[in-house]
Amino acid sequence: MSVPATALTAQSWRAHLQLGFESRRGQTVLVQRRHFGPLLVQRPFYPEGEVCHTYLIHPPGGVVGGDELRLDVRLAEGCHALITTPAANKFYRSDGRLARLHQHFQISPNAVLEWLPQEAIFFNAAEARLHTRIDLVGNARFIGWEYSCFGRPASDEVFVSGHIDQGLALYRDGKPVLLDRLRVNGGGDVLQQPWGLRGHLVTANLLMTDADDSALALARDAYTQDSGCELSLSLVDGVLVGRCLGPQAMVVQACLQSIVQTLRPKLLGREFCRPRIWDT
Amino acid sequence: MMNKVSPGLLSLLRLASPSLPVGAFAYSQGLECVIDRGELTQRDEVLSWLTGVLRNSHAYLDAPMCLRMHRAWAVGDELAVKRLSAELIAWRDAKELRLEDRQQGQALARLLTDLGEARAAAWLRQPYTSYIAMYSLAAVAQQVNENEALAGLLWSWCENQVAAAIKLVPLGQTDGQRILMKLQPVIEEVIANALQVDDADVGASLPGVAMVSAWHEQQYSRLFRS
Repeated sequence: MSVPATALTAQSWRAHLQLGFESRRGQTVLVQRRHFGPLLVQRPFYPEGEVCHTYLIHPPGGVVGGDELRLDVRLAEGCHALITTPAANKFYRSDGRLARLHQHFQISPNAVLEWLPQEAIFFNAAEARLHTRIDLVGNARFIGWEYSCFGRPASDEVFVSGHIDQGLALYRDGKPVLLDRLRVNGGGDVLQQPWGLRGHLVTANLLMTDADDSALALARDAYTQDSGCELSLSLVDGVLVGRCLGPQAMVVQACLQSIVQTLRPKLLGREFCRPRIWDT
Repeated sequence: MMNKVSPGLLSLLRLASPSLPVGAFAYSQGLECVIDRGELTQRDEVLSWLTGVLRNSHAYLDAPMCLRMHRAWAVGDELAVKRLSAELIAWRDAKELRLEDRQQGQALARLLTDLGEARAAAWLRQPYTSYIAMYSLAAVAQQVNENEALAGLLWSWCENQVAAAIKLVPLGQTDGQRILMKLQPVIEEVIANALQVDDADVGASLPGVAMVSAWHEQQYSRLFRS
């Protein structure tokens, strides 16, 4: 399906980015890159040999009500890509219209995807629906996180109105493995209550496939209580599920990173290679 | 006519009873952990937790799923039940929550099979068998209509959670009844919501519940399996 790169109005965009990765002569190559509208990738690079590191650039001005962004990524058999973003993805106050972001990853047998984006920031009164779907085929592997900040603590902006509906779905061979959907109504009690975000502004999900009890134990050991975050780890049908809550995006990311750093050698046979863009 | 009870009423009472042998009493769904952490220390806090979970999770997940599975069984679409049930299991986002759903689903599949419900046998030892898949089968088989089935499902959940809270906080029996009375209108609200939720709107996760469930796995002293 191709979406025309026409602006809906002067302020809203439809954007669609399709990426295809393949393994060629032992290296993962970005062989397909089609984009309509302001959703782009930078030229991939290879800080650790065969793994293709790719930076995904969201619309520079952030996302507003009415925007529809769509990302489709396919990994062919046997390749390994790491996708991250150079900055947070901002969802601005809405004029009443809904912003949509749909991300779909299809991962072929023997392929590995690491999806390590920076946070989504929901400005007060943002109206947004986000959905990320990961389809694994056969023995495909996935490590990924998504984290979001409600309001802007640095500007004392609290998320008191607006609606966020954020889904994360992991499938293997067409069957659901883990489904998640966070619904936040500004002014509602989900941000404060102990069954919700427990008074934190930042919430994260971490998924790592092909984990076992020893991986879970390693991850639990890696977590330090004084990180400033609350972290839980559990293992459901071979998927390590991490949830992290914290006061700001940076400390949550550090917490998630410590888990990935600990488990990457065990799950993927490689040391963690921190994307340099996070430091800029 | 005035003295006649509705055809499914007694079946409903039996299905929603704590004496239904599926072991519900053994599970707290994270309550044991959140109470152990000192976050729910009195009646109103327990009420607030249960109300929040009903309104923000059950209203979008368990109740609409139960409604859909009930309707699918009613028209004999077992394939649809299977798909919905597998999906429901995938929404259980911590080890003990998933295990609980599967164990209770198996217990009910076994019970229904032993009671002569032939359709339950195929659901034995299947990873996609959720409690609600078997509960909705029992409801349909015994003329419990969809609204009553939802009421029974939510009521027995509340009753079980309150029984756990009475043990754990601890609370008195009268306080338990006060909580349950206050949850009754919430249950009605959740049923009304479940009847309106469209397919694209089904599904909800509560980070706090998943987290306390995951922490419960490592809790030093435990009475409950979840």
